[in-house]
Amino acid sequence: MGERSTLMKDFWRGGELFVWMTASGVALSLMMVAGMLGLIMINGLGQFWPAALQETTLKTQETVIGQVVGEEVIPNSITPDSPAGQRRCRYRVGNRDQFGSEYRWINAADIVSSARPEDLTLVERREWGPAFGRITVGVEGAATGSASGSSWTTVKTLVERANQLRRRIEHLEREEIGSINYRIEKARLARHALTLNGRLAPADAEKDQRLLDQMTALERDYLVKTEALERLHKEAGQEVLFLTLSTGRSVRLSLDQVLAVSRPNGMHWGEKLLAYVRNLWLFVSSEPREANTEGGIFPAIFGTVLMVFLMTLAVMPFGVMAAVYLREYANQGLLVRLVRIAVNNLAGVPSIVFGVFGLAFFVYALGGTIDHWLFPEALPNPTFGTGGILWASLTLALLTVPVVIVATEEGLSAVPRDFREGSLGLGATKFETLRHVILPCALPGILTGLILAMARAAGEVAPLMLTGVVKLAPALPLDEYLPFLHLDRKFMHLGFHIYDVGFQSPNVEAAKPMVYMTTLILILVVVSLNWTAVRLRNRLRRRFAASAV
Amino acid sequence: MLRPMHLRTLFDRLARVIITVGGLATIVSILGIFFFLFREVTPLFTAPSAKLTQRLSVPALLVDEGPAQVAVDEHREIAQVFTSGAIQFFDLASGQPIPLEMPAQVVGRQITAMASGGGNAQRLAVGTADGEILLLKVGTTTEFTDRGERRKRPHIRAGQPIPLTKSPIVRLAYRANDQGSLLALVSKGGRLLVVRIAADDVTGQHPVVTELPQPRGAVTALALDALLENLYVGTADGQVVHVALSETEPPEMRAAYTIAAPSTAVTALGFLSGDRSLVVMSEDGAVSTWGLVRRADAPSGWTLTQIHTLRAHNAPVTAFAPSQRVKGFVTGDRKGNLFLHHATSSQTLLRLATSEFPIRAVAFAPKGDGLIALDGAGQLSLYQVQNAYPEVTLETLFGKVWYEGYDQPAHVWQSSSGSDDVEPKLGLLPLAFGTLKGTMYALFLAVPIAILAAMCTSQFMQQDLRAKIKPIIEVMAALPTVVLGFLAGLWLAPLLERMLPAVAGMALVLPLLVVGASFAWYLCPLSAKRHLPQGQEALLLIPLLGLGIVGCLWANSLIEGWWFDGNVKAWLSSRLGIQYDQRNALIVGIVMGFAIVPVIYSIAEEALSNVPKIQIAGSLALGATRWQTVLHLVLLSASPGIFSAVMIGFGRAIGETMIVLMATGNTPILDWNWANGFRTLSANIAVEIPEAPHGGTLYRVLFLAALLLFIVTFVINSLAELVRQRLRDKYSHG
Repeated sequence: MGERSTLMKDFWRGGELFVWMTASGVALSLMMVAGMLGLIMINGLGQFWPAALQETTLKTQETVIGQVVGEEVIPNSITPDSPAGQRRCRYRVGNRDQFGSEYRWINAADIVSSARPEDLTLVERREWGPAFGRITVGVEGAATGSASGSSWTTVKTLVERANQLRRRIEHLEREEIGSINYRIEKARLARHALTLNGRLAPADAEKDQRLLDQMTALERDYLVKTEALERLHKEAGQEVLFLTLSTGRSVRLSLDQVLAVSRPNGMHWGEKLLAYVRNLWLFVSSEPREANTEGGIFPAIFGTVLMVFLMTLAVMPFGVMAAVYLREYANQGLLVRLVRIAVNNLAGVPSIVFGVFGLAFFVYALGGTIDHWLFPEALPNPTFGTGGILWASLTLALLTVPVVIVATEEGLSAVPRDFREGSLGLGATKFETLRHVILPCALPGILTGLILAMARAAGEVAPLMLTGVVKLAPALPLDEYLPFLHLDRKFMHLGFHIYDVGFQSPNVEAAKPMVYMTTLILILVVVSLNWTAVRLRNRLRRRFAASAV
Repeated sequence: MLRPMHLRTLFDRLARVIITVGGLATIVSILGIFFFLFREVTPLFTAPSAKLTQRLSVPALLVDEGPAQVAVDEHREIAQVFTSGAIQFFDLASGQPIPLEMPAQVVGRQITAMASGGGNAQRLAVGTADGEILLLKVGTTTEFTDRGERRKRPHIRAGQPIPLTKSPIVRLAYRANDQGSLLALVSKGGRLLVVRIAADDVTGQHPVVTELPQPRGAVTALALDALLENLYVGTADGQVVHVALSETEPPEMRAAYTIAAPSTAVTALGFLSGDRSLVVMSEDGAVSTWGLVRRADAPSGWTLTQIHTLRAHNAPVTAFAPSQRVKGFVTGDRKGNLFLHHATSSQTLLRLATSEFPIRAVAFAPKGDGLIALDGAGQLSLYQVQNAYPEVTLETLFGKVWYEGYDQPAHVWQSSSGSDDVEPKLGLLPLAFGTLKGTMYALFLAVPIAILAAMCTSQFMQQDLRAKIKPIIEVMAALPTVVLGFLAGLWLAPLLERMLPAVAGMALVLPLLVVGASFAWYLCPLSAKRHLPQGQEALLLIPLLGLGIVGCLWANSLIEGWWFDGNVKAWLSSRLGIQYDQRNALIVGIVMGFAIVPVIYSIAEEALSNVPKIQIAGSLALGATRWQTVLHLVLLSASPGIFSAVMIGFGRAIGETMIVLMATGNTPILDWNWANGFRTLSANIAVEIPEAPHGGTLYRVLFLAALLLFIVTFVINSLAELVRQRLRDKYSHG
């Protein structure tokens, strides 16, 4: 007995217990990181794999076609009779327009039989999400498609043709008609500008007439194009597919609604891999559909990259200049020390505060003034007096400039004094020393700061919500119309996309996998930027730690 | 090949100028953020002011002792003066009367009482010396001339006179809504009548007249509300009598309230905009607002309660007018003073000595930016008023405020509502509370994990392993918070709702596992330990804790059955009285804790590993175990650094926006409970500023919130930075 109590006392005194407790802190942190990344990767990457379509017959003679997306024990189903509880599966049954909901729970006990016939088809549509069933070909006006001539290859050719047609329609709508609209609006604004001060000056009458003629010509052109568009639409709607649903009912699928058809049950793994890569590519490169819950995220990626790029352009010269001033030119007194602490602390000021500042200063004060002086013809519609990519970038530049200053200063202070003195001693001026000796040595530090700033900017959302991000931008901020880069346009952003689709969209459940994938991309961007910065910084430290000796 | 010397010096000087100017400009502009925010907030607290812009004398016809009304249009171009003598409009630009065609019904009748019908349409009721009532509509039509100038034309339409008593009508109250019109009147003989005219009775020929019993004192003031349900009667002996009216039932005298000393007459009664708060003014100059408040002991369940007391006049109050936009009003007294009050904030904003004669009538311009007053000598004074933010004071922002329709003073944030008559409630305290609550829950989780982890990697861990693990934890700090918010709201919240018993189980099982593991390690014979890796406790724990977590998740329903009677939510609400919200403080604590763990960790780690190795070696050499060394030496030396790490984590959590926006449900309530949500200052800004009109009260209050966040985080970070620098100095010298 006594031996046992000394053992316990020893164990307690030795502190082994507490060492292990501190280790649990590390273990928990690592598990949280790994768990979170794993969760996002599984949920994000898994969705592009062509999942098998299950055809399940229930006890009620009902047939269900869908992808099995989850399984669980029915809550509160554990009774003394069945300690393991009842299980149920979650099917994605698609056909939201027909069934009302895209998902359905099926109790395992109700299932009679389940199979994966190869002719089950997945149809991706422009609206209402995917549809599952068996497909046949038909012609508009005819009755339900006859079995003849409805082979899988015919269906695929038809869909391919429909896609080509759609691309032509899109080209016509976006490029040609879009360009006409753009030019008409330009001419309208130019005419409005002529009459801004009340009446048309006689000198401008000729110009006004010319603009008017131009507008009439454009409008004529517009009519021609819309007619062509209508013809294409008619052509696209001529052929139809018929989809036999799990309920046995046959529904008509206009081909211009069909994006792609596939039979995942008949694919071997090579085909599946190909389909996976294609799906992934489409996600990254195409535009969103259906209130952002389907399609891709290209505009969001583009907006994020462009915004970060513009921010870098703004933040680099000013951040470096401020740091060089503080470290190399200013007198190192109490004031500079205080300024340094203040700048350092600005990095810890909440980002929403910067957003509020951006809204009031850039958007309302600066943008309002610019509109008043440069774009009076468009008022009361604001041009720069509303959120836009320029204001968002500048706001984020303010937010990240302390990061750049701090990192650059660190880089500058790591340059050994001997280098400076050597250069000055050889007769170089201060500026020459700076340019040829100090800045090259401090370059890794500056780059580290920039990269950290970019990573921070890419992940910030709160300030953007006030200064110009939107859920769906009608046009990219970069296009083929002069001046090519439209700094006043609103833009889409990966982070805001996550918030918007995850919390404001009508069909959160169906959009969840998309959000996970968007999240994964955002994390990849941010974490890889950070990783690079950390590596750079470590290299910098090692280099000067060695040379300072 | 070098450039010539003078060029080199020139470049050097140029560079100096450019770098100095550019550097200073950058620093000034980022520090200028504070001053800009400050500038946006200051208008909230600037004192209101009024400027006399015009004064004109009305014709003698309009100067008498009888009742009077004044009004001014929203552009402050036309003034309207209505006395028992006549109705007259004035063009304020020229000061000249505007000719106007009087309806035949008005001409020749002697007006002895008048009342406004409330609402936006200029409805008026007048009582005559012959005991008749006449309903009037006054309006202006705006025309544009050929030259594009705006010209306003006033007009008056009158209904048919309704005969009611034989004697003159001396007091009148009038309200109209889409169900009809209601009037209350007092005749010279003291009879108190209520007259109801249905909406479909266009000509007003079938009024329903009810006579009320006479109150004890003579009736000196009347007020009717827009619901046409409540009549308040002020008497000469300082009482206000509440009469409940209904279309179907006879009027009911609810209660009589003594509001002033006996023999101090109630001189005027009126409603604030929205017709819910009654303003009572009396002969001794007192001004107060009253509202119906729910009280269980009152017979009707409601009792008229004094809500706000405002600055008293030195003379009897003779005139009253509510603002049409906010819960403000103006009162005028017999000595010619005007007081501008705001009810909800209980403040009297302005005192204007307008004249030496009694104020007969006063009115606000529709936008609240002007005042017009008529005095006993026939002078019409027009003021321009700067009073954009009357509802904001430090007390209304941070103290309890008794809002209209509330039973008691409360801290409320409710910036918008369905109706214009409901005032915005801008109490920042619930938001500040929410910010603090979220921060505390996050720190509660993050501080132990981060500091334990920092102690482990800096003191106990094998160096190679430390070099790998430290950057992994630190890279967590870069994770976009929108990602964490998304996971919190859409993954963790629904999961935790189902797995609450498992989490409770983990809180018990995981510490036990750690204790067990350490004991097993302690018992393990030295010969066996030599073959096991040293300083890698953390790695050994990962599979163990992972198994513990998976086990708890698997046993979720079992734990629910054992501890929580099979239904954890029912158990919580019946045993602890806790209503579980899906998005709650626990979720935020976990996820925001996750976000600030790396922040605290990295600073604490730095502080801990900066403790000189020689001291540690000394302690170990003297026979202390490694834990004793850490506890008594390292932790103590590094405690300022750890403190500053916690402060920086605190600062980070206070301003965090996306996580709380997505994971709290954003309900501004005051409750420390872990199972319900809250709203923070930062999330509130993100939610509301896109909808706030530029320059309005809400906009500026949100700026104040941002300024508060700025100041708090800046101060906290500066303190932490100071502590860190002192610590660094200490070790670099010692």
